[in-house]
Amino acid sequence: MSSGFRVDPKDAVPIWRQIELGVKRLVASGALAPGVAVPSMRDLAQELGVNPMTVAKAYQRLADAGVVETRRGEGTFVAARSAARGRSERNRDLKQQADRFASAAATLGVAEPEAVGEVRAAFSRLGRGTGGKE
Amino acid sequence: MSSLAVDPVLEVEHVSVRYGGARVVEDVSLSVERGSVFALLGRNGVGKSSLIRCILGQQRPSAGDVRLFGRSSWNSRRAAMARVGVVPEEPDAPPEMNARELVALLGDLYARWDGADVLARIERAGVSARVPFGKLSKGQKGAVMLALALGHRPELLVLDDPTLGLDAVARKALYDEIIGDLADRGTTVLLCSHDLDGIERLADRVAIVKERRMLLNEPLEELKARFRRLRVTGTGASGVDWTPFEISASDTREWGVETLVANFSDERFETFRARAAAVDVEVVSLSLEEIFVALVGRKEVSS
Repeated sequence: MSSGFRVDPKDAVPIWRQIELGVKRLVASGALAPGVAVPSMRDLAQELGVNPMTVAKAYQRLADAGVVETRRGEGTFVAARSAARGRSERNRDLKQQADRFASAAATLGVAEPEAVGEVRAAFSRLGRGTGGKE
Repeated sequence: MSSLAVDPVLEVEHVSVRYGGARVVEDVSLSVERGSVFALLGRNGVGKSSLIRCILGQQRPSAGDVRLFGRSSWNSRRAAMARVGVVPEEPDAPPEMNARELVALLGDLYARWDGADVLARIERAGVSARVPFGKLSKGQKGAVMLALALGHRPELLVLDDPTLGLDAVARKALYDEIIGDLADRGTTVLLCSHDLDGIERLADRVAIVKERRMLLNEPLEELKARFRRLRVTGTGASGVDWTPFEISASDTREWGVETLVANFSDERFETFRARAAAVDVEVVSLSLEEIFVALVGRKEVSS
């Protein structure tokens, strides 16, 4: 089973952190639904080519955050409650990215309507333009 | 035992090696904790091979001590080797023997030996157990050596450049086996390698030997967190005050100054930025290989 994300060991972000964020992202997007088993530490370590203890650290942090739960002898599963957590995390991520874009636009001297227009244009380039719901 | 208790599998204390007047290793100390992956790096000819021979009890240090499982590796080599698996730099199995014969031969030497497990590993690597060792490819030899090294379920696995000369597929297969063993048994690993990509994936701790001495020895995560390359451009770049940064190397280019910072943190960067507000600064993070090359030079890194 493929985990659906990659890690870059050369990156300055520690591998366990990349795994932690990768799983959170998959949960937030719904690609990993509540109750679904995540790969075993051994399988994921071999798939990513990393130390199993690194995967264990990521899973431990995900368990502490309530994103996954470990059932003794059965494995690790996406927690039932984590869909809600995933959504709040997603909202926070989205807000952060929006802040970043807004400040970049302001730095470039771009006014709000033009900046928002660019976001709409970006969505239509993705082929899924929204009606601009506020 | 409390979970805070330190349980070193290997301790090297102030080890020096001299051959006549030639100093090969100078005052090297390190400690490998149980269940960890410790990477020992250095360019060729920095005394790594002598150090490994001392660790394995094959050579007596000129000064200092090596302890495996708390006992001198020189004085209790036999007892220690029953608990250590070694994959040597040069595969040294008799070339006329096939894997099946090697498994039987080693089975006689070890009290605890799982020949079926060794043969299963060899089969998994796609190696025929009936082909003489000398006729195997480099990758196949490596797979057989690793399988044999794990046959007595060692507590410590010493890998001396196991991926040297292997292609990407053979390297991946070898790491797969090592990762499986880490997951299944929590084996402690001492990895001496030039494959910095592999080390970056597996190591908990990294030590770099340079010119006979230990240059650094710390958790990989901390090492990568504290090294950054800073590129400063604009007028005044050459006269920049680098406080509070510790500069490991500095180069003046046509466009400005490039430095290697050894104690980077976000807080220090803010302090620096407040002083050096007039210049443009680019912060570049570094891979282990880039850090290694910056500290010890480029020669003999790729292999």
